[in-house]
Amino acid sequence: MICLSRLAKIFGQRVAVDDLTLHVRAGEIFGLLGHNGAGKSTAIGMMLGQVWPTQGEVHICGHDVTRRRSLALRKVGAIFETPAFYDYLSGWRNLEILSHYSAPTPAKRIREVMEWVGLAGREQSKVRTYSHGMRARLALAQALLPQPELLILDEPGDGLDPEGIHEMRQTIRRLHGELGLTIFLSSHLLNEVEQLCTRIAVMNQGRKVFEGSLAEVKQPKNWVRLRVNDFHQAVKSLREENLIVDERDGQFVALATEAGTDVVVRRLVEQGMAVYEIARHEQTLEDFYLGLMRNDSHR
Amino acid sequence: MFYLQLRNELWKLFAKKRTYIGFLMFLLAQNVIILLFRFTNGPRVSMIRTLEGNGYLAQQFISALTVATFMLLPIAYLLLPLYVSLVGGDLVAKEAEDGTLRMILSRPVSRLRLLLLKWLAGAFFSLALVLALGLFGVVFASFWFPWKGLFVFIPGELFSVFDAAGGLQHYVAAHLMMATKAVTVMGLAFMFSCFNVKPAAATILALSFVFANFIMQNIPYFHDLQHWFLTYHLNIWQYMFAQPIPWWKIGESLSILLGFNLTFLVIGLTVFQVRDIKS
Repeated sequence: MICLSRLAKIFGQRVAVDDLTLHVRAGEIFGLLGHNGAGKSTAIGMMLGQVWPTQGEVHICGHDVTRRRSLALRKVGAIFETPAFYDYLSGWRNLEILSHYSAPTPAKRIREVMEWVGLAGREQSKVRTYSHGMRARLALAQALLPQPELLILDEPGDGLDPEGIHEMRQTIRRLHGELGLTIFLSSHLLNEVEQLCTRIAVMNQGRKVFEGSLAEVKQPKNWVRLRVNDFHQAVKSLREENLIVDERDGQFVALATEAGTDVVVRRLVEQGMAVYEIARHEQTLEDFYLGLMRNDSHR
Repeated sequence: MFYLQLRNELWKLFAKKRTYIGFLMFLLAQNVIILLFRFTNGPRVSMIRTLEGNGYLAQQFISALTVATFMLLPIAYLLLPLYVSLVGGDLVAKEAEDGTLRMILSRPVSRLRLLLLKWLAGAFFSLALVLALGLFGVVFASFWFPWKGLFVFIPGELFSVFDAAGGLQHYVAAHLMMATKAVTVMGLAFMFSCFNVKPAAATILALSFVFANFIMQNIPYFHDLQHWFLTYHLNIWQYMFAQPIPWWKIGESLSILLGFNLTFLVIGLTVFQVRDIKS
């Protein structure tokens, strides 16, 4: 559905996106993670033909965005972090204006979408009277009008209160479940991505530093939390026996593939070390993300 | 489809309150000028002296048409460029500033088509502004002055008198020609609006260009070079009051204005096509 190959964008001296290759399959909810300024919005700008790539290619729905933008974006809806509308016009008129840039849209379709997003009854009110949440729903409505197959959401939770974020999350699930849309979501809110996405990519300083499924993120290694009287001594001993492959934060060890917790405990006890606790640890996305950022900054 | 999109551009333009600032200021300026002309002696006495000094019966020409034309000059020279460049400068830059341009360009519409739609909406506004200016001018003047002949005097340029019917024809023709001035100044501001600048900057750049041309054109030593300045060609509308109308001169200026307009549009399109649209 989305295929970025060796994409790069340089603004003056600053490399905003560097050699980004990414594939998003139809039917996925794909999350693009990264801190502010990591290059997520620039990458989305290139996907939508708003930012010209310095190098590389973007294909959306099988069409090259740079050369055949109109074809590529025919079945695409997009929402940006701060949805902007013509505040002095009604919600209905805004939808009419924006949808006509794609194709003539019958009033029936606008009414249908207004109802779907829960704005029925407020369609004739001026947008300036809308709350932040209602504007977010109007943004969703405009994205849904051309009956898209792909929805691109740039920081959709930005500026929403917890209730708004919850509502937005539910809506994204509905869009995926009821309408079968492919969803590409960029965010720096780890919780949001963790709860919604099936696959993710992480960007740091314009570069992709990870791409994979959420399952891979959560259990990349066989981590256990180990509480002993001397953690460093225990790590040293377990490494010599090839029972662990990694350690972190003074309390976690990653077991070697064939090593079980029973073997580790036995070995430590045999060496006279008291083991107070050993428990499997599922890595959160936050642990994974922070680890990635740390490793990347050490490069 | 193109019609629907153009209709929407016009909706956006005409539903905005700031679009009407120009209209309101024109109406205010017109009424102030009419009332000053009606209730003070200075301007009227001066006009009577000019007419009678040339052998005309002044009472035949102190009319609604004459007053409407008399107030046209300052408005066309100063207020018109100001308001059309305000709207032209807003057309692209304001949408970029507000973020709505990014919403539009997430749709499968080409940048070329979008700019042509916006330019056409701007041209439509300019035409509407000039026609409203002419219509309201003559309507307001009719409240205070009789419907008689037209007298036009531009020092050093022209001196003409017409009967009421002929005067009205020339008055309408001058406004139609003035629309070319409004469209050109709007097009200039529109070109600057396509750059990555704030709307106010686009307006100021356009006005600076027009006023710099006007100043240079009016420096006595530059008199021989005046054909090279945009403002010389912008003011051909006033020759629609000449007797006879110098059509060759008007044709020449119209061709030059067409060239200017195409140049402004092509520069605007090129700049807009290559720029990155970011939040």
